[in-house]
Amino acid sequence: MAVTIIYSTSQKYPLYQMGNPQLRIFRPPFFLTLVRPGKEQPPDVVQFRIPMVMTKFDVRNYVEKIYNVPVGAVRTRIQYGTNKKRNHLNQKVKRPDYKVAYVQLAQQQTFEFPDIFPKKDVKSAEGSVEEMQEKFMEDEEQRQKPDPRRGGVTEWFGL
Amino acid sequence: MAATSAGRVLTLCRQFQNACRISTTLSAQQSTVTLTKGRSYPHRLPSTLLSSSWSCNLDLAVQCRPLHTTISRRGLEEFFDIPENWGEATVKSGAPWTAKQLRTKSNEDLHKLWYVLLKEKNMLLTIEQESKRQGQQMPSPERLKKIDRSIRRLDTVVKERENALRLLQTGQERARPGDWRKDVFGRIYWYRFREHALPWYMNRRYKRKRFYTPAFVAPHLRLRLEKYLRAKTRKQKKESENQAVLKEKFPQMQAKSQ
Repeated sequence: MAVTIIYSTSQKYPLYQMGNPQLRIFRPPFFLTLVRPGKEQPPDVVQFRIPMVMTKFDVRNYVEKIYNVPVGAVRTRIQYGTNKKRNHLNQKVKRPDYKVAYVQLAQQQTFEFPDIFPKKDVKSAEGSVEEMQEKFMEDEEQRQKPDPRRGGVTEWFGL
Repeated sequence: MAATSAGRVLTLCRQFQNACRISTTLSAQQSTVTLTKGRSYPHRLPSTLLSSSWSCNLDLAVQCRPLHTTISRRGLEEFFDIPENWGEATVKSGAPWTAKQLRTKSNEDLHKLWYVLLKEKNMLLTIEQESKRQGQQMPSPERLKKIDRSIRRLDTVVKERENALRLLQTGQERARPGDWRKDVFGRIYWYRFREHALPWYMNRRYKRKRFYTPAFVAPHLRLRLEKYLRAKTRKQKKESENQAVLKEKFPQMQAKSQ
């Protein structure tokens, strides 16, 4: 078979023996997740979670060909997911294992994981329910505030 | 910044078109890369799902090869959504691809679409993991399901086409060869062949597998057969008794023909 058809990550690869042509996978079923590093990493290192079946060479080819990002070095490790936690039936629940790849970019490029959830001031639409609710909450807060003329002194004492 | 530089390059290309035509045959992956590089941000979302604007962009890319002097940083930015959508509660997205729509597309188009869906899924997985890390809600998590369904349907369509080709060219019904074999318990099942580096008579693990039923299993087979027959007669008897009761209650009823 000239074309390698790998439909899922659970499928076995064809056997390789010396002299065989280079294995090519069309429509790779592998998905990478870019993660924020838990420990401080050098500025040119990007951290990925990759499927267990991928190797360093696979990651390098994937990132270079699909994302056109120059890759210098790739290091991988397998993170063991704990089997210690127990559920409400006292059964052990396994957290799945996953493979982590540290990709070092070439050509002195750097990458910093951005902040994807910045605080945005949300203004509700005019005349909507949310706007009325917000207005009501603001009025309530205003009512609960102590008298500013007392200059910060509590109202616990009389007068 | 990337958009304007790409725009300038494309206008330059258009001006130089008549003078020097650089017509190259772009590979599928390169064309997807140039497509994503050349496209400006506002057009990004509708292009991933249900777009028909590929072909016109592809013509542009074929006629003039864009020249980049700086390394395109859009590489790793494709793992994240466009910056306008950061911090939003919901992000609009279209319907997933249906198998019917995918069957109208050519093989090349499907191949390119696979990579588009792949990149989109990577982006969504990144956002999901980051939202878990930050303790925030992921905006529009239904996008993941849509992408999954699109990918599965694309797979189905490609498998159908490959099956049809194989049937026409060789007459083989299955892609992976196999055979009907008996296991140790006397059951007949479809055994799918695996690739081995040795012939079977030198493979010790394979020889331990036993694709025959030993003689001492015969009593168990007999008991299993008796159990099956007993269950079958019980079911038939119950059915006929039920029919008799119904016939008594409703004499005009037509008996079920089995």
